[in-house]
Amino acid sequence: MTLLPWKQSVRATAPERSSFEELALPLFPSLYNIAHWLSKNPVDAEDLVQETCLKALRGFSSFEPGTNFKAWIFRILRNTYLTSRTGLAAARTVAFEDKFEERGDPGAPLEREAMIDRTTPELHLLRLSDRAALQSAMEGLPRPLLEVILLCDVEEMKYREIAATLEIPIGTVMSRIARARAALRSALEADPTKRKEFRA
Amino acid sequence: MSDHLSLADLSAIADGELSPEQLTAAGEHLAGCPSCTASALSQTLLKSAISRAGIRYPLPAQMSKQILARTSQEAARQESERASTGPALAPWSGQLGWAVAATLLLVAGTTLVLERSAQHIQIASTILSAEAGALVTEVSDQHIATLASGSAPQVESTDRHTVKPWFQGKLPFSFNLPEGLPADTKLDGADLTYVRKQPVAQLLYSIGKHRVSVFVTPRRGAVPAGGMVAENAGFHVRTLDTDDLELIAVSDVDPARLSGLLNAIGQTQTRSLQDSPPGTTK
Repeated sequence: MTLLPWKQSVRATAPERSSFEELALPLFPSLYNIAHWLSKNPVDAEDLVQETCLKALRGFSSFEPGTNFKAWIFRILRNTYLTSRTGLAAARTVAFEDKFEERGDPGAPLEREAMIDRTTPELHLLRLSDRAALQSAMEGLPRPLLEVILLCDVEEMKYREIAATLEIPIGTVMSRIARARAALRSALEADPTKRKEFRA
Repeated sequence: MSDHLSLADLSAIADGELSPEQLTAAGEHLAGCPSCTASALSQTLLKSAISRAGIRYPLPAQMSKQILARTSQEAARQESERASTGPALAPWSGQLGWAVAATLLLVAGTTLVLERSAQHIQIASTILSAEAGALVTEVSDQHIATLASGSAPQVESTDRHTVKPWFQGKLPFSFNLPEGLPADTKLDGADLTYVRKQPVAQLLYSIGKHRVSVFVTPRRGAVPAGGMVAENAGFHVRTLDTDDLELIAVSDVDPARLSGLLNAIGQTQTRSLQDSPPGTTK
Protein backbone atom coordinates (compact mmCIF):
# COMPACT_ATOMS: atom_id res chain seq x y z
CA MET A 1 0.00 0.00 0.00
CA THR A 2 1.30 3.45 -0.80
CA LEU A 3 1.30 6.39 1.54
CA LEU A 4 -1.17 8.40 -0.47
CA PRO A 5 -4.21 6.21 0.10
CA TRP A 6 -3.45 6.19 3.82
CA LYS A 7 -3.39 9.93 3.90
CA GLN A 8 -6.62 10.07 1.96
CA SER A 9 -8.16 7.67 4.37
CA VAL A 10 -7.03 9.75 7.30
CA ARG A 11 -8.45 12.83 5.68
CA ALA A 12 -11.78 11.16 5.30
CA THR A 13 -11.95 10.79 9.05
CA ALA A 14 -10.57 14.20 9.87
CA PRO A 15 -12.06 16.73 7.46
CA GLU A 16 -11.12 19.70 9.57
CA ARG A 17 -7.42 18.87 9.66
CA SER A 18 -7.53 17.86 6.03
CA SER A 19 -8.90 21.18 4.85
CA PHE A 20 -6.45 22.99 7.10
CA GLU A 21 -3.51 21.17 5.56
CA GLU A 22 -4.81 21.77 2.06
CA LEU A 23 -5.05 25.49 2.73
CA ALA A 24 -1.86 25.88 4.76
CA LEU A 25 0.59 23.65 2.92
CA PRO A 26 0.99 25.89 -0.17
CA LEU A 27 1.68 28.84 2.12
CA PHE A 28 4.57 27.27 4.05
CA PRO A 29 7.27 28.78 1.78
CA SER A 30 5.74 32.25 2.04
CA LEU A 31 5.24 31.98 5.78
CA TYR A 32 8.85 30.92 6.25
CA ASN A 33 10.18 33.66 3.99
CA ILE A 34 8.27 36.37 5.83
CA ALA A 35 9.14 34.83 9.20
CA HIS A 36 12.83 34.88 8.31
CA TRP A 37 12.66 38.48 7.18
CA LEU A 38 10.99 39.50 10.45
CA SER A 39 13.01 37.40 12.86
CA LYS A 40 16.27 37.75 10.93
CA ASN A 41 17.48 34.24 11.72
CA PRO A 42 16.55 30.75 10.50
CA VAL A 43 16.03 29.10 13.87
CA ASP A 44 13.56 31.70 15.10
CA ALA A 45 11.87 31.63 11.70
CA GLU A 46 11.31 27.87 11.91
CA ASP A 47 9.94 28.18 15.44
CA LEU A 48 7.73 31.02 14.33
CA VAL A 49 6.22 29.08 11.44
CA GLN A 50 5.73 25.95 13.57
CA GLU A 51 4.03 27.96 16.28
CA THR A 52 1.91 29.80 13.74
CA CYS A 53 0.68 26.57 12.18
CA LEU A 54 -0.16 25.03 15.54
CA LYS A 55 -2.05 28.15 16.59
CA ALA A 56 -3.85 28.25 13.27
CA LEU A 57 -4.85 24.58 13.59
CA ARG A 58 -6.12 25.10 17.13
CA GLY A 59 -8.13 28.11 16.02
CA PHE A 60 -9.17 26.72 12.66
CA SER A 61 -12.74 26.24 13.82
CA SER A 62 -12.98 30.02 14.10
CA PHE A 63 -11.86 30.49 10.50
CA GLU A 64 -14.79 31.23 8.27
CA PRO A 65 -14.66 29.12 5.09
CA GLY A 66 -14.66 31.22 1.96
CA THR A 67 -12.86 34.12 3.59
CA ASN A 68 -9.22 34.97 3.06
CA PHE A 69 -7.18 32.16 4.64
CA LYS A 70 -3.89 33.72 3.58
CA ALA A 71 -4.65 36.99 5.36
CA TRP A 72 -5.88 35.01 8.37
CA ILE A 73 -2.78 32.86 8.80
CA PHE A 74 -0.41 35.74 8.04
CA ARG A 75 -2.12 37.72 10.80
CA ILE A 76 -1.45 34.82 13.17
CA LEU A 77 2.18 34.76 12.02
CA ARG A 78 2.59 38.45 12.60
CA ASN A 79 0.93 38.41 16.03
CA THR A 80 3.01 35.40 17.01
CA TYR A 81 6.14 37.25 15.96
CA LEU A 82 5.17 40.38 17.89
CA THR A 83 4.79 38.35 21.08
CA SER A 84 7.89 36.23 20.48
CA ARG A 85 11.22 36.80 22.14
CA THR A 86 12.72 38.31 19.02
CA GLY A 87 9.63 40.36 18.33
CA LEU A 88 9.58 41.80 21.83
CA ALA A 89 13.31 42.50 21.66
CA ALA A 90 12.85 44.28 18.35
CA ALA A 91 9.96 46.30 19.76
CA ARG A 92 12.30 47.75 22.36
CA THR A 93 14.54 49.22 19.70
CA VAL A 94 12.06 50.89 17.41
CA ALA A 95 12.51 54.49 18.42
CA PHE A 96 13.50 55.09 14.84
CA GLU A 97 10.07 54.01 13.76
CA ASP A 98 8.64 57.13 15.32
CA LYS A 99 9.86 58.95 12.26
CA PHE A 100 7.58 56.74 10.24
CA GLU A 101 4.44 57.32 12.22
CA GLU A 102 1.63 58.20 9.92
CA ARG A 103 1.50 61.93 9.42
CA GLY A 104 -1.76 62.52 7.66
CA ASP A 105 -1.55 62.99 3.92
CA PRO A 106 0.90 60.47 2.51
CA GLY A 107 1.22 62.57 -0.60
CA ALA A 108 2.66 65.61 1.11
CA PRO A 109 5.07 67.46 -1.19
CA LEU A 110 7.98 67.20 1.21
CA GLU A 111 7.79 63.41 1.23
CA ARG A 112 7.39 63.30 -2.49
CA GLU A 113 10.82 64.87 -2.80
CA ALA A 114 12.25 61.52 -1.82
CA MET A 115 10.64 60.00 -4.84
CA ILE A 116 11.94 62.41 -7.42
CA ASP A 117 14.35 60.59 -9.65
CA ARG A 118 17.58 62.55 -9.81
CA THR A 119 19.48 59.78 -11.49
CA THR A 120 19.46 58.62 -15.05
CA PRO A 121 17.11 55.72 -15.80
CA GLU A 122 20.12 53.59 -16.69
CA LEU A 123 21.79 54.23 -13.36
CA HIS A 124 18.52 53.61 -11.57
CA LEU A 125 18.05 50.28 -13.31
CA LEU A 126 21.61 49.34 -12.47
CA ARG A 127 21.00 49.99 -8.78
CA LEU A 128 17.76 48.06 -8.75
CA SER A 129 19.50 45.13 -10.34
CA ASP A 130 21.84 45.00 -7.35
CA ARG A 131 19.80 42.43 -5.49
CA ALA A 132 22.12 42.32 -2.51
CA ALA A 133 21.98 46.10 -2.10
CA LEU A 134 18.21 46.05 -2.22
CA GLN A 135 18.02 43.23 0.29
CA SER A 136 20.40 45.09 2.54
CA ALA A 137 18.20 48.17 2.27
CA MET A 138 15.13 46.07 3.07
CA GLU A 139 16.86 44.65 6.13
CA GLY A 140 17.24 48.20 7.37
CA LEU A 141 13.57 49.04 7.09
CA PRO A 142 11.66 49.42 10.35
CA ARG A 143 9.38 46.45 10.91
CA PRO A 144 6.08 48.28 10.13
CA LEU A 145 7.45 49.30 6.73
CA LEU A 146 9.14 45.99 6.01
CA GLU A 147 6.06 43.90 6.68
CA VAL A 148 3.84 46.08 4.53
CA ILE A 149 6.23 46.05 1.59
CA LEU A 150 6.70 42.27 1.84
CA LEU A 151 2.97 41.65 1.85
CA CYS A 152 2.41 44.06 -1.03
CA ASP A 153 5.30 43.36 -3.36
CA VAL A 154 6.36 39.81 -2.47
CA GLU A 155 3.05 38.28 -1.48
CA GLU A 156 1.14 40.45 -3.96
CA MET A 157 -1.64 41.11 -1.51
CA LYS A 158 -4.17 43.84 -2.24
CA TYR A 159 -4.31 46.84 0.07
CA ARG A 160 -7.50 45.64 1.73
CA GLU A 161 -5.94 42.23 2.38
CA ILE A 162 -2.88 43.88 3.92
CA ALA A 163 -5.14 46.06 6.03
CA ALA A 164 -6.95 42.96 7.28
CA THR A 165 -3.70 41.14 7.96
CA LEU A 166 -2.06 43.97 9.85
CA GLU A 167 -5.32 45.22 11.36
CA ILE A 168 -4.72 48.78 10.25
CA PRO A 169 -6.74 51.16 8.02
CA ILE A 170 -6.19 51.08 4.26
CA GLY A 171 -4.98 54.68 4.41
CA THR A 172 -2.21 53.59 6.74
CA VAL A 173 -1.31 50.77 4.38
CA MET A 174 -0.99 53.24 1.50
CA SER A 175 1.05 55.60 3.61
CA ARG A 176 3.44 52.90 4.79
CA ILE A 177 3.94 51.49 1.31
CA ALA A 178 4.79 54.91 -0.04
CA ARG A 179 7.19 55.56 2.83
CA ALA A 180 8.80 52.14 2.51
CA ARG A 181 9.53 52.66 -1.16
CA ALA A 182 10.82 56.15 -0.54
CA ALA A 183 13.09 54.80 2.17
CA LEU A 184 14.39 52.02 -0.05
CA ARG A 185 15.01 54.44 -2.83
CA SER A 186 16.90 56.76 -0.54
CA ALA A 187 18.95 53.87 0.77
CA LEU A 188 19.85 52.72 -2.73
CA GLU A 189 20.84 56.21 -3.76
CA ALA A 190 22.94 56.72 -0.66
CA ASP A 191 26.64 56.08 -0.53
CA PRO A 192 27.01 52.32 -0.08
CA THR A 193 29.34 52.88 2.86
CA LYS A 194 26.63 54.86 4.61
CA ARG A 195 23.79 52.54 3.72
CA LYS A 196 23.83 50.87 7.10
CA GLU A 197 23.00 54.17 8.78
CA PHE A 198 19.45 53.51 7.73
CA ARG A 199 19.29 50.80 10.32
CA ALA A 200 19.47 53.45 13.05
CA MET B 1 -2.58 70.69 -3.06
CA SER B 2 0.39 69.57 -5.10
CA ASP B 3 0.29 69.79 -8.88
CA HIS B 4 1.90 66.41 -9.08
CA LEU B 5 0.58 63.01 -8.21
CA SER B 6 1.03 62.10 -4.57
CA LEU B 7 3.34 59.37 -3.33
CA ALA B 8 0.31 57.27 -2.47
CA ASP B 9 -1.12 57.75 -5.97
CA LEU B 10 2.17 56.75 -7.56
CA SER B 11 2.33 53.66 -5.38
CA ALA B 12 -1.28 52.84 -6.13
CA ILE B 13 -0.56 53.04 -9.87
CA ALA B 14 2.29 50.55 -9.50
CA ASP B 15 0.14 48.32 -7.31
CA GLY B 16 -2.90 48.45 -9.59
CA GLU B 17 -5.02 49.81 -6.76
CA LEU B 18 -6.57 52.84 -8.46
CA SER B 19 -10.24 52.81 -9.35
CA PRO B 20 -11.08 53.22 -13.05
CA GLU B 21 -11.95 56.87 -12.48
CA GLN B 22 -8.74 57.54 -10.56
CA LEU B 23 -6.76 55.74 -13.21
CA THR B 24 -8.25 57.87 -15.96
CA ALA B 25 -7.43 61.05 -14.07
CA ALA B 26 -3.91 59.86 -13.31
CA GLY B 27 -3.41 58.90 -16.96
CA GLU B 28 -4.36 62.34 -18.09
CA HIS B 29 -1.88 63.86 -15.68
CA LEU B 30 0.92 61.51 -16.65
CA ALA B 31 0.40 62.32 -20.33
CA GLY B 32 1.51 65.87 -19.67
CA CYS B 33 3.96 65.43 -16.79
CA PRO B 34 7.34 63.82 -17.52
CA SER B 35 8.37 64.07 -13.85
CA CYS B 36 5.42 62.04 -12.58
CA THR B 37 5.76 59.63 -15.48
CA ALA B 38 9.37 59.00 -14.54
CA SER B 39 8.40 58.56 -10.90
CA ALA B 40 5.58 56.15 -11.80
CA LEU B 41 7.99 54.13 -13.91
CA SER B 42 10.49 54.19 -11.10
CA GLN B 43 7.86 52.90 -8.68
CA THR B 44 7.00 50.05 -10.99
CA LEU B 45 10.64 49.09 -11.42
CA LEU B 46 11.20 49.27 -7.69
CA LYS B 47 8.16 47.11 -7.00
CA SER B 48 9.39 44.53 -9.46
CA ALA B 49 12.87 44.53 -7.95
CA ILE B 50 11.48 44.17 -4.42
CA SER B 51 9.30 41.26 -5.46
CA ARG B 52 12.41 39.44 -6.70
CA ALA B 53 14.70 40.42 -3.85
CA GLY B 54 12.04 39.69 -1.24
CA ILE B 55 11.92 35.99 -2.06
CA ARG B 56 15.12 35.37 -0.20
CA TYR B 57 14.70 32.51 2.23
CA PRO B 58 13.66 29.15 0.79
CA LEU B 59 11.79 26.75 3.03
CA PRO B 60 14.30 24.30 4.53
CA ALA B 61 14.05 20.74 3.30
CA GLN B 62 11.94 18.52 5.55
CA MET B 63 10.30 21.49 7.23
CA SER B 64 6.95 20.92 5.56
CA LYS B 65 6.99 17.33 6.78
CA GLN B 66 7.94 18.43 10.27
CA ILE B 67 5.11 20.93 10.39
CA LEU B 68 2.61 18.40 9.07
CA ALA B 69 3.81 15.84 11.60
CA ARG B 70 3.35 18.32 14.43
CA THR B 71 -0.06 19.44 13.24
CA SER B 72 -0.99 15.79 12.86
CA GLN B 73 0.00 15.12 16.46
CA GLU B 74 -1.86 18.21 17.60
CA ALA B 75 -4.97 17.13 15.74
CA ALA B 76 -4.73 13.68 17.30
CA ARG B 77 -4.38 15.26 20.71
CA GLN B 78 -7.45 17.41 20.10
CA GLU B 79 -9.44 14.43 18.93
CA SER B 80 -8.31 12.52 21.97
CA GLU B 81 -9.42 15.33 24.26
CA ARG B 82 -12.72 15.64 22.47
CA ALA B 83 -13.25 11.92 22.76
CA SER B 84 -12.42 11.88 26.47
CA THR B 85 -14.56 14.89 27.38
CA GLY B 86 -17.43 14.18 25.02
CA PRO B 87 -19.63 16.77 23.33
CA ALA B 88 -20.93 19.66 25.38
CA LEU B 89 -24.65 19.45 26.04
CA ALA B 90 -27.01 22.30 26.54
CA PRO B 91 -28.34 22.53 30.13
CA TRP B 92 -31.89 21.82 29.04
CA SER B 93 -30.82 18.63 27.34
CA GLY B 94 -29.71 16.90 30.54
CA GLN B 95 -32.67 14.54 30.93
CA LEU B 96 -32.83 13.85 27.24
CA GLY B 97 -29.10 13.14 27.31
CA TRP B 98 -29.51 10.59 30.09
CA ALA B 99 -32.29 8.92 28.20
CA VAL B 100 -30.22 8.73 25.06
CA ALA B 101 -27.23 7.48 27.01
CA ALA B 102 -29.30 4.79 28.68
CA THR B 103 -30.70 3.71 25.33
CA LEU B 104 -27.25 3.63 23.80
CA LEU B 105 -25.95 1.66 26.76
CA LEU B 106 -28.76 -0.82 26.40
CA VAL B 107 -28.16 -1.15 22.67
CA ALA B 108 -24.41 -1.45 23.15
CA GLY B 109 -24.86 -4.03 25.88
CA THR B 110 -27.26 -6.05 23.78
CA THR B 111 -24.93 -5.84 20.84
CA LEU B 112 -22.03 -6.94 22.97
CA VAL B 113 -23.82 -10.01 24.25
CA LEU B 114 -25.04 -10.99 20.80
CA GLU B 115 -21.72 -10.55 19.15
CA ARG B 116 -19.79 -12.33 21.88
CA SER B 117 -22.03 -15.30 21.47
CA ALA B 118 -21.32 -15.25 17.77
CA GLN B 119 -17.59 -14.85 18.50
CA HIS B 120 -17.04 -12.35 15.74
CA ILE B 121 -13.69 -10.72 16.22
CA GLN B 122 -14.60 -7.60 14.32
CA ILE B 123 -17.11 -6.67 16.94
CA ALA B 124 -14.31 -5.84 19.30
CA SER B 125 -13.66 -2.67 17.36
CA THR B 126 -17.30 -1.61 17.39
CA ILE B 127 -17.55 -1.74 21.16
CA LEU B 128 -14.36 0.09 21.82
CA SER B 129 -14.65 2.70 24.45
CA ALA B 130 -14.12 6.27 23.35
CA GLU B 131 -10.73 6.15 24.97
CA ALA B 132 -9.70 3.09 23.05
CA GLY B 133 -10.92 4.67 19.83
CA ALA B 134 -8.86 7.76 20.53
CA LEU B 135 -5.88 5.55 21.25
CA VAL B 136 -6.22 3.84 17.87
CA THR B 137 -6.33 7.22 16.13
CA GLU B 138 -3.39 8.53 18.09
CA VAL B 139 -1.06 5.59 17.48
CA SER B 140 -2.07 5.47 13.81
CA ASP B 141 -1.22 9.16 13.44
CA GLN B 142 2.09 8.60 15.22
CA HIS B 143 2.91 5.76 12.86
CA ILE B 144 1.97 7.86 9.82
CA ALA B 145 4.07 10.74 11.10
CA THR B 146 7.02 8.39 11.52
CA LEU B 147 6.64 7.11 7.98
CA ALA B 148 6.20 10.61 6.58
CA SER B 149 9.18 12.12 8.39
CA GLY B 150 11.66 9.82 6.68
CA SER B 151 14.16 10.63 9.40
CA ALA B 152 16.31 8.07 11.19
CA PRO B 153 15.08 6.65 14.50
CA GLN B 154 16.38 8.33 17.64
CA VAL B 155 18.19 5.10 18.41
CA GLU B 156 19.02 3.32 15.18
CA SER B 157 20.15 -0.26 15.72
CA THR B 158 19.17 -3.82 15.01
CA ASP B 159 20.69 -4.86 18.32
CA ARG B 160 18.24 -5.20 21.17
CA HIS B 161 21.11 -4.68 23.63
CA THR B 162 21.55 -1.22 22.14
CA VAL B 163 17.91 -0.26 21.80
CA LYS B 164 16.66 -1.29 25.22
CA PRO B 165 19.37 0.44 27.31
CA TRP B 166 18.79 3.64 25.33
CA PHE B 167 15.51 4.07 27.18
CA GLN B 168 17.10 3.90 30.63
CA GLY B 169 16.27 7.09 32.47
CA LYS B 170 13.88 8.15 29.74
CA LEU B 171 10.89 6.03 30.69
CA PRO B 172 9.35 5.34 34.10
CA PHE B 173 9.12 1.62 33.29
CA SER B 174 11.18 -1.09 31.66
CA PHE B 175 10.54 -3.78 29.08
CA ASN B 176 12.32 -6.60 27.30
CA LEU B 177 12.99 -7.16 23.64
CA PRO B 178 12.92 -10.62 22.09
CA GLU B 179 16.12 -12.23 20.93
CA GLY B 180 14.47 -14.27 18.22
CA LEU B 181 12.06 -12.60 15.83
CA PRO B 182 9.62 -14.09 13.33
CA ALA B 183 10.94 -14.74 9.84
CA ASP B 184 11.78 -11.72 7.69
CA THR B 185 11.39 -9.43 10.69
CA LYS B 186 14.08 -7.11 11.94
CA LEU B 187 14.46 -4.38 14.52
CA ASP B 188 15.23 -0.97 12.95
CA GLY B 189 15.49 1.09 16.12
CA ALA B 190 13.20 3.06 18.36
CA ASP B 191 11.93 6.49 19.28
CA LEU B 192 10.90 8.05 22.53
CA THR B 193 7.46 9.46 21.88
CA TYR B 194 4.24 10.37 23.64
CA VAL B 195 0.93 8.57 23.71
CA ARG B 196 -1.92 9.74 25.91
CA LYS B 197 0.43 12.51 27.03
CA GLN B 198 2.76 9.93 28.58
CA PRO B 199 6.28 9.05 27.45
CA VAL B 200 6.35 5.67 25.72
CA ALA B 201 8.72 3.59 23.62
CA GLN B 202 7.97 3.34 19.92
CA LEU B 203 9.82 0.27 18.67
CA LEU B 204 10.37 0.29 14.94
CA TYR B 205 10.45 -2.99 13.05
CA SER B 206 10.39 -4.06 9.44
CA ILE B 207 8.50 -7.12 8.26
CA GLY B 208 9.64 -7.54 4.70
CA LYS B 209 9.17 -4.07 3.23
CA HIS B 210 6.43 -3.14 5.68
CA ARG B 211 7.18 -0.83 8.55
CA VAL B 212 5.79 -1.61 11.97
CA SER B 213 5.49 0.53 15.07
CA VAL B 214 5.09 -1.18 18.42
CA PHE B 215 4.25 1.21 21.23
CA VAL B 216 5.18 0.02 24.71
CA THR B 217 3.20 1.79 27.40
CA PRO B 218 2.32 1.15 31.02
CA ARG B 219 -0.90 -0.79 31.20
CA ARG B 220 -3.97 1.35 31.81
CA GLY B 221 -6.79 -0.92 30.89
CA ALA B 222 -7.98 1.44 28.20
CA VAL B 223 -8.66 -1.33 25.78
CA PRO B 224 -10.61 -4.54 26.17
CA ALA B 225 -8.75 -6.99 28.35
CA GLY B 226 -6.90 -9.54 26.32
CA GLY B 227 -6.27 -7.34 23.33
CA MET B 228 -7.90 -5.23 20.73
CA VAL B 229 -8.30 -5.64 17.01
CA ALA B 230 -8.94 -2.48 15.05
CA GLU B 231 -8.46 -0.96 11.64
CA ASN B 232 -7.77 2.69 11.08
CA ALA B 233 -6.77 4.61 7.98
CA GLY B 234 -5.73 1.44 6.24
CA PHE B 235 -3.61 0.22 9.13
CA HIS B 236 -4.09 -2.79 11.35
CA VAL B 237 -3.89 -2.06 15.04
CA ARG B 238 -3.35 -4.90 17.48
CA THR B 239 -2.80 -4.73 21.20
CA LEU B 240 -1.53 -7.16 23.75
CA ASP B 241 -1.61 -6.78 27.51
CA THR B 242 0.92 -8.16 29.91
CA ASP B 243 0.54 -7.74 33.66
CA ASP B 244 2.28 -4.37 33.59
CA LEU B 245 2.50 -3.30 30.01
CA GLU B 246 0.29 -2.62 27.08
CA LEU B 247 1.80 -3.32 23.65
CA ILE B 248 0.21 -1.63 20.66
CA ALA B 249 1.31 -2.60 17.17
CA VAL B 250 0.45 -0.60 14.05
CA SER B 251 1.24 -1.57 10.47
CA ASP B 252 -0.22 -2.35 7.09
CA VAL B 253 1.48 -5.75 7.08
CA ASP B 254 -0.55 -8.94 7.11
CA PRO B 255 -2.43 -9.01 10.44
CA ALA B 256 -1.24 -12.53 11.26
CA ARG B 257 2.39 -11.49 10.90
CA LEU B 258 1.73 -8.37 12.96
CA SER B 259 0.25 -10.50 15.72
CA GLY B 260 3.22 -12.86 15.45
CA LEU B 261 5.63 -10.03 16.16
CA LEU B 262 3.44 -8.73 18.96
CA ASN B 263 3.34 -12.16 20.56
CA ALA B 264 7.12 -12.48 20.30
CA ILE B 265 7.58 -9.18 22.12
CA GLY B 266 4.90 -10.02 24.67
CA GLN B 267 6.44 -13.36 25.51
CA THR B 268 9.73 -11.78 26.53
CA GLN B 269 8.19 -9.67 29.24
CA THR B 270 8.88 -10.87 32.74
CA ARG B 271 5.36 -11.72 33.62
CA SER B 272 3.07 -14.10 31.89
CA LEU B 273 0.78 -13.02 29.18
CA GLN B 274 -2.88 -12.91 29.58
CA ASP B 275 -4.86 -15.88 28.50
CA SER B 276 -6.10 -14.59 25.22
CA PRO B 277 -3.63 -13.71 22.51
CA PRO B 278 -4.43 -10.83 20.21
CA GLY B 279 -6.49 -11.46 17.18
CA THR B 280 -8.41 -14.24 18.87
CA THR B 281 -10.28 -12.30 21.44
CA LYS B 282 -13.79 -11.45 22.08
